[in-house]
Amino acid sequence: MEQITKDIRKNIITIANLAKSPHVGSALSCADILATLYHKVMNISLPLCEDRDYFLLSKAHSAMCLYSTLNSKGFLSDEDMLGYYQNGGKLPAHTDRLTNDFIEISAGSLGHGLPIGLGIAKSLKLDKKDSRVFVLMGDGESQEGSVWEAAMLAPALGLDNITAIIDYNNLQGYGRARELVSYEPIKDKWESFGWETVCIDGHDYEQLEEALSKKSNKPKIVICNTTKGKGVSFMEDELIWHYYLVTDEIKQKAMEELS
Amino acid sequence: MRNRVAKAIENKAAEDEKLYLISGDAGLGVWEGFKETYPERFLNPGVNEACDVGMASGLALRGYKVVYYNIAPFVIMRPYEQVRNDVCYQELPVIMVGTGSGITYAPAGMTHYVIEDIALAKTMPNLNIFSPCDPIEADAAFAYAYAADTPTYIRIPKNGEPELHKSTNIDITKPHVLREGKDALIIFHGSIVDAVLPACDTLSEKGIEVCAVSNPMVSNISDELAELINKYDSVYVAEEHYEYGGLGTIITDYCNEKGIFKKINKIALKNEYIHKVGNRDYLREHYGISIDKIVKFICSKVEK
Repeated sequence: MEQITKDIRKNIITIANLAKSPHVGSALSCADILATLYHKVMNISLPLCEDRDYFLLSKAHSAMCLYSTLNSKGFLSDEDMLGYYQNGGKLPAHTDRLTNDFIEISAGSLGHGLPIGLGIAKSLKLDKKDSRVFVLMGDGESQEGSVWEAAMLAPALGLDNITAIIDYNNLQGYGRARELVSYEPIKDKWESFGWETVCIDGHDYEQLEEALSKKSNKPKIVICNTTKGKGVSFMEDELIWHYYLVTDEIKQKAMEELS
Repeated sequence: MRNRVAKAIENKAAEDEKLYLISGDAGLGVWEGFKETYPERFLNPGVNEACDVGMASGLALRGYKVVYYNIAPFVIMRPYEQVRNDVCYQELPVIMVGTGSGITYAPAGMTHYVIEDIALAKTMPNLNIFSPCDPIEADAAFAYAYAADTPTYIRIPKNGEPELHKSTNIDITKPHVLREGKDALIIFHGSIVDAVLPACDTLSEKGIEVCAVSNPMVSNISDELAELINKYDSVYVAEEHYEYGGLGTIITDYCNEKGIFKKINKIALKNEYIHKVGNRDYLREHYGISIDKIVKFICSKVEK
């Protein structure tokens, strides 16, 4: 897993540098979560089948991480990945589901993924399928009202097949979640809404695998304590890497650390 | 119209077990039949429009045909971004039905009027927009929406409107002449029909024969409508909608593009927030879209 996540992070740095696109810190933050889902937890393979598990990247500004992870599984070609954000390329900065079969939803505006996830989870129940739905949100994102609409609804619908994940790096676009709003106690909030709630280290593969694999008889949320920019020391927990661009010099330094 | 659409949805549910209905906590007296017959396919998630539309798109992503029902302001305006991003951008054939179009619910207040919905809906390029004027058009709009692989918005006023078409077999994408006339052309959609047709009767008594045309598919200006416009020197568009952004604007833009140089006279609500209190007819009179005001306006324009 260590090698897989290093490669995913290297690809994030590579395409962020090629594209000169923002959000590299957000993408690095959730690399271990996506790697664990796609390589250890989810039932998903080529060709895409009806019985697969679903992953919805609701914090779609981390799309570079999804593209790199799909590439690590062979679901997205090198050519498509390297064409990210480029003129005439296929992949925009925020996901467009029509660009690749493995990109389940078009997203980017925050707070959309969980309601869509509820719809997919409901349809799976109606079809009597065992597939699971995973929705990754940011901590900043989970301040959106639509997240709490869905949080209130999922238990009422009996959707024990949905697992929300929060990439809790406590560093959003222009501040810290805990300082901007009354974010804490976040675990208690979700619990009081009727969700099974687990808090883990979002960079620990064993904790991730256990928390994400284990099914529940309720909707489940895994709150992952993470570090924004994880894996590149000078980007870690630094607000600027929400938006700063990866120059050639930055890329070289980052690659040295990841190699 | 409302119950007619509800019946059409219920009938279709009998044929299609993947037809699913989401009501945003609306529809007392409308959905009891559906709920009784298909309890597992009726979902009232409560008062949470953003979540409703997002969830509808999630179901549609897995092949379900979803109808989202609410009063009209909460169909297009409240969850606008979900309609844009989750439904239209994702190219999902969700059917959205809004009741209380225009100022039907007056004097409910501005929050419950929907007089800019067409302007908003028209910003979504693949969205079919229907504003039926009678139950036959409402039926046909739903039939079109059900068969379409693109999303649809149907705005309907309320219940109990009379049937105006002679045949139930109509092409909902085309304009329909409900009254012939040689002196002027009035194009309309939706609820304003009950002011337009009586106004035409009065104008006829005054010697002005007006051709009245319903154009229920607001998002589609067909060649047939262009031909009609070309035939008349005096052209009007009447609607219970803001004068900028509605069918009048759509037709004006269309004519401009096609090189049809006709003055399009708009009979619509002024683009302003309504603070005046009164029922629909009272507000129509105030804003110049009542029977009398339509008669006066056309009389002032058409010389006999």
